[in-house]
Amino acid sequence: MMSRMKTTDTSHIRNFSIVAHIDHGKSTISDRILELTHTVDERDMADQLLDTMDIERERGITIKSNAVRVLYDADDGESYQFNLIDTPGHVDFTYEVSRSLAACEGAVLVVDATQGVEAQTVSNATLAMNANLDIVPAINKIDLPSAHPEEVKKEIEEDLAIPADDAVLVSGKTGEGIHDLLEAIVYLVSPPKGDIKAPLKALILDSYFDEYRGVVATVRVFDGSIKKGDHLRMMALGDTFLCDGVGCKRPLETPLDELGVGEVGYVVTGLKDPALVKTGDTITYEDRPCAEACPGYHEAKPMVFTGLFPIDNKQYENLRDALEKLKVNDPSLIWTPETSVALGFGFRVGFLGLLHMEVVKERLEREFGLDLIATSPSVDYHVYKTDGEMVDITSPQDLPDVTRIDHIEEPYLKAKVIVPPDFMGAVMQLVVDHRGETSDMVYLSEKSVEIHFDIPLAELILDFFDQLKSRTKGYASLDYEIGDYRTSDLVKLDILLAGEEVDALSFIVPRDRAYDMARSLCDKLKEIIPRQQFEVPIQGAIGNKIIARSTVKAVRKDVLAKCYGGDISRKRKLLEKQKEGKKRMKSIGSVEVPQEAFLAVLKVDDE
Amino acid sequence: MPSSVSGGFGSEWCARLSASGADALYLHIPFCARKCAYCDFASWATARGDALCRHYAEALERQVEEVSHLGLLTECETAYIGGGTPTFLGEALGGLVRCATRCAPRVHELTCEANPDSLSDAVLSDVAAAGCTRLSIGVQSLCDAELFELGRLHDAARARERVSAAVASGLDVSCDLMCAIPLQMADSWQATLEGVASLGVGHVSVYPLQIEDGTALARRVGDEQPSWNSPDTQASCMEQAQSVLESFGYRRYEVASYARLSEKECSHNKMYWTGRPYLGLGTGAASMLTAEGYKRLLEACPQLGPLPEGMARARLKVISGREEIARGASLLSLAFEEEFLTERQAVAEDLMLGARLACGLDAGLVACAHDVLGPSVDGTLDHLVREGYLDDALAPTQRGWLLGNELYGELWDLAGDTGTVTRRSA
Repeated sequence: MMSRMKTTDTSHIRNFSIVAHIDHGKSTISDRILELTHTVDERDMADQLLDTMDIERERGITIKSNAVRVLYDADDGESYQFNLIDTPGHVDFTYEVSRSLAACEGAVLVVDATQGVEAQTVSNATLAMNANLDIVPAINKIDLPSAHPEEVKKEIEEDLAIPADDAVLVSGKTGEGIHDLLEAIVYLVSPPKGDIKAPLKALILDSYFDEYRGVVATVRVFDGSIKKGDHLRMMALGDTFLCDGVGCKRPLETPLDELGVGEVGYVVTGLKDPALVKTGDTITYEDRPCAEACPGYHEAKPMVFTGLFPIDNKQYENLRDALEKLKVNDPSLIWTPETSVALGFGFRVGFLGLLHMEVVKERLEREFGLDLIATSPSVDYHVYKTDGEMVDITSPQDLPDVTRIDHIEEPYLKAKVIVPPDFMGAVMQLVVDHRGETSDMVYLSEKSVEIHFDIPLAELILDFFDQLKSRTKGYASLDYEIGDYRTSDLVKLDILLAGEEVDALSFIVPRDRAYDMARSLCDKLKEIIPRQQFEVPIQGAIGNKIIARSTVKAVRKDVLAKCYGGDISRKRKLLEKQKEGKKRMKSIGSVEVPQEAFLAVLKVDDE
Repeated sequence: MPSSVSGGFGSEWCARLSASGADALYLHIPFCARKCAYCDFASWATARGDALCRHYAEALERQVEEVSHLGLLTECETAYIGGGTPTFLGEALGGLVRCATRCAPRVHELTCEANPDSLSDAVLSDVAAAGCTRLSIGVQSLCDAELFELGRLHDAARARERVSAAVASGLDVSCDLMCAIPLQMADSWQATLEGVASLGVGHVSVYPLQIEDGTALARRVGDEQPSWNSPDTQASCMEQAQSVLESFGYRRYEVASYARLSEKECSHNKMYWTGRPYLGLGTGAASMLTAEGYKRLLEACPQLGPLPEGMARARLKVISGREEIARGASLLSLAFEEEFLTERQAVAEDLMLGARLACGLDAGLVACAHDVLGPSVDGTLDHLVREGYLDDALAPTQRGWLLGNELYGELWDLAGDTGTVTRRSA
């Protein structure tokens, strides 16, 4: 196999991504390509091979990008090197999407033959066209009786302005048409350009940590080549290292002598600190640097902050260790210790977005066996005190006393939503409800309109995205970039359980919505907190003023299972199960509070 | 009534942990004319007169004889034939009763469960003649609409008539009732309680309906807990039952059991609550044996495997199917689920079960618990009294009865390590 894997002439390289609306079949088509090119045996084929983390597979989303090399013997008798670059599929990870696309010359646009063009088809196609990629339209699921490929072709031409007469008809399920697709990639996607003799210029798409070899970076080489033993430099961060090996994924790591111009593969950096290797940075020669780095590098900044507390305080050190282990492959994770009267010792952790937060929490619980409470997410507020000092506040409990606050600024986003015109009204209303301001509206085609607006980040992280999805039946796609800080009239809303303030339940809200929020939160908590042996009043307060109240009534009876014919084991199992349930709750004072109560604020608008 | 063991003699209770036989015998009949909507127990709808029933009963008789030859039934005082619907066996039930009295000659209480629809005069006289002393009749309700919802085959009139006939036959009669069931209202529950009490039965059992996963009822109600089965409804029903039945002269001697006179209490069920070993045969039947008793059973059932080291109590459950048993399975070919408890666990379990009884925790048991579990017993008992689950005599309060799981859970936790050793027979 090594003999076939020498550096390939750029005319025989094709770098591409597959983009699609969710569930239109991106992953199955990737799998069929790997099969047809004999990159993996059919029998080794776990469905959706490119998504390797358990959580990715369960949720059907791609979190980290991945690049796989396949070799294709085309009908013209030539052998081609294809690099299939997977892109993350969620709004939290738009930055990584843009890096992945920057590494490609082409994109296969997959459209479901039964569903036609949908919101994310439009937004992904737009991203690909903005990146100047050659688009190969492919209409999938043609094996289904309800497939109507001719109409879908028309939609692609009308809605996206992409010629679709020769769109490839495929079935990821049966494999039909995959060969035609591979041929189309050879002919429609441009080969990479670049100068093998120029100084090295390689873009980092992704990185991962290997205990023995340090950080391994996935790169696309634009100029020059990389060999083991090269002295290299990170252009943005400045660190230098000795290249300890290169290779490509097929899909397992396959070492190579060299990564040549136009190729995609991995570089073993030997660096022990993952923070030194950043997606979007450019690798070049230490002694002969390229003139300029690949464009568009910026550091992914945490936008959402939440407290993570072990239910059992004895797990605090384990949580710290686990976070450190995760950071090795996820350098964007940051945290500082946090103490809560209610929850004890924990950490305030910064995330790229809500999905990132959920994924990290789930990995901590599943891979490290921790039982965690996550508190309501918060953003980074700029609080200006009366003495003129400005403090960054990422946890409501750190908010200074009202009398010492002059004003508070909160981060805004510049956001845009692409949606069919039918849903325009619903989106505009949602934006207004979430303190957003519409700034512009552009018709992209008859079937899609782009709405630009400014919105506080705090609104977006609560429930904006979920509501956007539900109010537009999943049609809307959202993209955003960080905007400016603006002054808002904000107050801290406290929650009291059985008369005791629970600091971990506090959050910062706009003053004019405090009453509504307090009322819905008290009602929500009443549903979430199980009935206890005594009555539990729940109160919402601003300062000393109670503004909302609900009550969890005392439980009168618990389950009495009949011991049929003396089957006592069964009764005991029931008791053990009940005890397990309690273990997953946190005692606050004398009240047993389930984990989800601390995220109740995310759910107040569910009804 | 305080137990016969009293006065703080821990050693006497502890002696129970080393009895060598079974004090009670349970036989399970897994046949019914129809499966009730709420039932998740080992029972299957079967065609009346199916030869399977007769073969099953005969096989069970041979197994009872086998355990009797092992000497396990020498001291046995009570027997209980439950189901399912034992009366569904018809004539074969009489044979089984005769076998039990023959093989366990010291039995003074022998109960057969019965359903109003299959308790014919013939079956009644047959089992009485065979040595049955007590009938436990599954009345459940005296409201036709409620009975229909539960999927019962009888109506209220049939239940009244059959219970009266049973009482007239001179046997001790108990009625099982169910509360927090579909359509039930406070007044219909009142009518059921008063109706049953007026029939002159000596014993009544009252259980709130549990909606068990996988039953027809669970599918019908879906995920939401219906208001007719809410914990509040259950609590009200249990309180109502106590007040109505007490007004008719019944005394609540166990969380779910009422008797008119102390001699009408169910001796067999009390075995379960007082740490007395029992042997169960038939599909799904449960046994509790001491280490000694287990070793004795092992002689006939080598498939059980040796008693794991350090274990004081075995809880077994027959998992062989009814067809397998009907094909003539002997003790040797029965499959069991096995669970083993240490001495600490056995004593904690006795405390947990003892807290179901109105007479409270037996002084001998508490002394034994001190010996085995150490001073943590005092802390837990103090806490339970302080929290109002137990009174000063260590008997359950009203609160303790309603919130039994809190009470039982805390007592069971006295075992310390509550993980038990489980396995399946070879």
